[in-house]
Amino acid sequence: MVMAAFAVALAAAAAAGSSSPAPLPEILLSRQLAEQASVRPGETVTIAAAANGAGAKQFRVAGIYEPTPDPMRFTSRRIEARLHLPDLLAMTATPEDPSSIEAVKAINVKLVDPKEAEAFDAALTARVPGTFSRLTARAQDGSDPFAVLERFHLAVAIVTVIGSTAFLLALMVMRAEERREIIGIVRLIGVSQRFVLLVVLAEGLLIAAAGAGFGVLVAKAAEGSVNRFFQWRYDTTLVFVRVTARIALQSIALAVPLGILAGVVGSWTLLRRDIVSLVRR
Amino acid sequence: MSAWSLAWRTVVHNPARACLAIGGVAVIGALLFNMLLLSRGLLVSFRDLLDTAGYDVRVLANEGSPIHRAPLAGAPSLAGEIERLPSVRRVALIRSDDALALPPGRDADAASVTLIGSTERQLGGAWDIVKGSTLPAEVHPGEPVPLVVSTKLAARQRLEPGSPLRIRVNLAGGASVLPSVDCRVVGIGSFTFESAYDYTVATTMAGFAAAHGAPDGKDEADLVLVASAPDAGPEAAAKAIAALRPDVRVYSNAQVVDQFNARAFSYFRQISVVLSTITLAFAFLLVATLLTMSVNQRLGEVAALRALGFPRRRIAANLLCESALLVGVGGVAALPLGGVLAIVLDRILRAMPGVPERLHFFVFEMDTVVLHAALLTATGILAALYPIWLAARLPIAATLRKEIVS
Amino acid sequence: MSAAAPIVEGRDLTRVFPMPAGDVTALGHVSIRIEPGEHVAITGPSGCGKSTLLHLLGCVDQATGGTLLFEGREVGALSESDRSRIRLTRIGFVFQRFFLLPMLTAWENIELPQAEAGASKSERRARTRELLEYVGLTERMDHRPSQLSGGEMQRVAIARALANRPPLLLADEPTGELDEATGEQIADLFDRVHADGTAIVVVTHNPVVAARAQRRLAMKSGSVVSG
Repeated sequence: MVMAAFAVALAAAAAAGSSSPAPLPEILLSRQLAEQASVRPGETVTIAAAANGAGAKQFRVAGIYEPTPDPMRFTSRRIEARLHLPDLLAMTATPEDPSSIEAVKAINVKLVDPKEAEAFDAALTARVPGTFSRLTARAQDGSDPFAVLERFHLAVAIVTVIGSTAFLLALMVMRAEERREIIGIVRLIGVSQRFVLLVVLAEGLLIAAAGAGFGVLVAKAAEGSVNRFFQWRYDTTLVFVRVTARIALQSIALAVPLGILAGVVGSWTLLRRDIVSLVRR
Repeated sequence: MSAWSLAWRTVVHNPARACLAIGGVAVIGALLFNMLLLSRGLLVSFRDLLDTAGYDVRVLANEGSPIHRAPLAGAPSLAGEIERLPSVRRVALIRSDDALALPPGRDADAASVTLIGSTERQLGGAWDIVKGSTLPAEVHPGEPVPLVVSTKLAARQRLEPGSPLRIRVNLAGGASVLPSVDCRVVGIGSFTFESAYDYTVATTMAGFAAAHGAPDGKDEADLVLVASAPDAGPEAAAKAIAALRPDVRVYSNAQVVDQFNARAFSYFRQISVVLSTITLAFAFLLVATLLTMSVNQRLGEVAALRALGFPRRRIAANLLCESALLVGVGGVAALPLGGVLAIVLDRILRAMPGVPERLHFFVFEMDTVVLHAALLTATGILAALYPIWLAARLPIAATLRKEIVS
Repeated sequence: MSAAAPIVEGRDLTRVFPMPAGDVTALGHVSIRIEPGEHVAITGPSGCGKSTLLHLLGCVDQATGGTLLFEGREVGALSESDRSRIRLTRIGFVFQRFFLLPMLTAWENIELPQAEAGASKSERRARTRELLEYVGLTERMDHRPSQLSGGEMQRVAIARALANRPPLLLADEPTGELDEATGEQIADLFDRVHADGTAIVVVTHNPVVAARAQRRLAMKSGSVVSG
């Protein structure tokens, strides 16, 4: 089936009660079009390929479909319909050009073995010059717009991590200073530096793990909000943000060592100071 | 000692903590600055690009969008009609097609190009000649078609002014056996609208027709560019053209920008709003946490000051000044950092296919600096509210007692 | 006892602290008068309500019952900013843990309350210099608290308390963190302050400090039992 992207003159007729001599051909309307035209399944609509309505034909609305979200076109409102190809060709063919009844804009091909895509592409170009084929696999030469967006978001994430690391270190330094006296007292009573460091590490691990886990939960909640916002804004079912298990694990794998390191670095000067200066007010 | 001096002394008393906090604010502030730049950068840059060409009205066939269009029939007579309008200063016809550029004897270096044909020799600022000269006013029959090639194509195919080049046009929608035509590079230029992955070649209208095996419908044009008369302006010119020829679509540059703003750019605007909001929330959370921890560490001091007679508002003023110092110094440092980050992020985003290389996603505007300052100020104030409430509300006697016992 | 009005007078003061395990009456029906220029020591075992009474007299805390008059004004009827003003200009507070601002020098710690009270720069300079000489710390004026000994810090705290020439000085265990010899030095300083006409109320466990007072109030279980 070919999605019709031509000018549509649409008029909803009365519901199925009207009798017509031959059954009308069927058509599917996108949800957005159905909402805009207030059309329901079973109703009759009139479609024309020309803006002035010439050559209009009636169709019965067989159903409403949700257009497959297209990331390249998500800002466009999906006002579209699907017809059987012969019906569409019959409407769009020009009488002066006999070959127009067989002309299509694109052919989608699903291969038995997707790995043969490039070989198929080369063979097609050689056998049918003048055609242009595009593989659906993402380009690896960096020209894929989503690869560009991915790099952009990665850069933003790196900057965010740097900023939050600075803050984290500041907080850890403050925490360590808060416990200066306690560290001094335990050192005074004979606890070794090594043991204190282990305690700091263990504490850092607990806090970092809890924080990272909480962060993943916050991200998951944010995922819902962001998706709902953009889906509402662009009237699409496209998923814009997805916190996958891999992303969650990557975040935790980054956050936990950072948190532990920040705790150790924050406490480092205290661990190195002499006991007397720790307990002195 | 004023609240500012006391706040300053408090902040510098812990230099490591202060540097880290200010550093954190600077980095987050830089990110915020970039997101604010992104919200309008593309729009501003696109508008500048359109204006660079020196034409401020576009005329297209009724079918199509401002960028993807069907050809205009009867273009020369249309151009003549438009040029006679008092609100119009200058008109240029543009045609474009996909082609293959073949350096003689080096077929392996062939490159797909966009071939542009124009009635104007220079087409305003659409390209800047870097080497050689622009298109000649006249081309004599039998002479090679004159071309201005982009610097990228010249580098790839090692072309210089005077180099020979063959151009073979690819006709869309069917098999083509058009032969290649002999051309000569007269100039190498930097094309305003060329993207990172494209090559552009400009020629005269006659040259364009020759490449198509002239005549091939010379009276067609893909686009008519119009420069309005200075005393009329683009809106008046657009209105006059639309009245003259209701069968065509007329857009002023401002209208083109508005259309793109509503469609193509809206994603970046939305993402900049989302990321700005998240960044601000982040900054708020972090500054508030820092200040709250700082106050908790100094409860005894605060209680003592209250016991000595310092009123609540003075304590609040001290904390507000501390917040302002951290956020203020960090915010100022965020600007140059943000500038560097903008260059990096811009470079990443401009690698997107189809984006003209001269289009920028991040464009500096003074308004953005002001907005950035206002947002950070508001964040600093809000972040200080809870620690101020803590300090102002603490029970003096109980706190003093607790400090002594602890 | 002088015929002048008392600086601070508490009538039937009660202070109850609500606790999860049940209310605690820290002070029960205590009446007290402090006359101008008087030197009073309040003694008693830990938890008897000495500090609570001091906090009430210093307008730092508010009584649950009874009336507190400061220079004839009923403190309970005053706003928080009025009470702050009294604490700033009419009362000096000395704490057991000094509570000096660590980021300020000795000079700046003493100058701070004067600036808050609105004194001019020249007035502040003169008064701060005078106080540093008074407590014998002129040569340490640019040192921060971390660079001072306990006794030196307490002397700076006393100087700070006297900055705005209050008629009343309240001290809560001023020698609690100091050794005996240093405690004696502080007691000597209080004698000088008293001799200059400032009323002093000191809560203390230190018998040397208590012995210097004109009047001793002994407290037990929230009540004054003698004095």
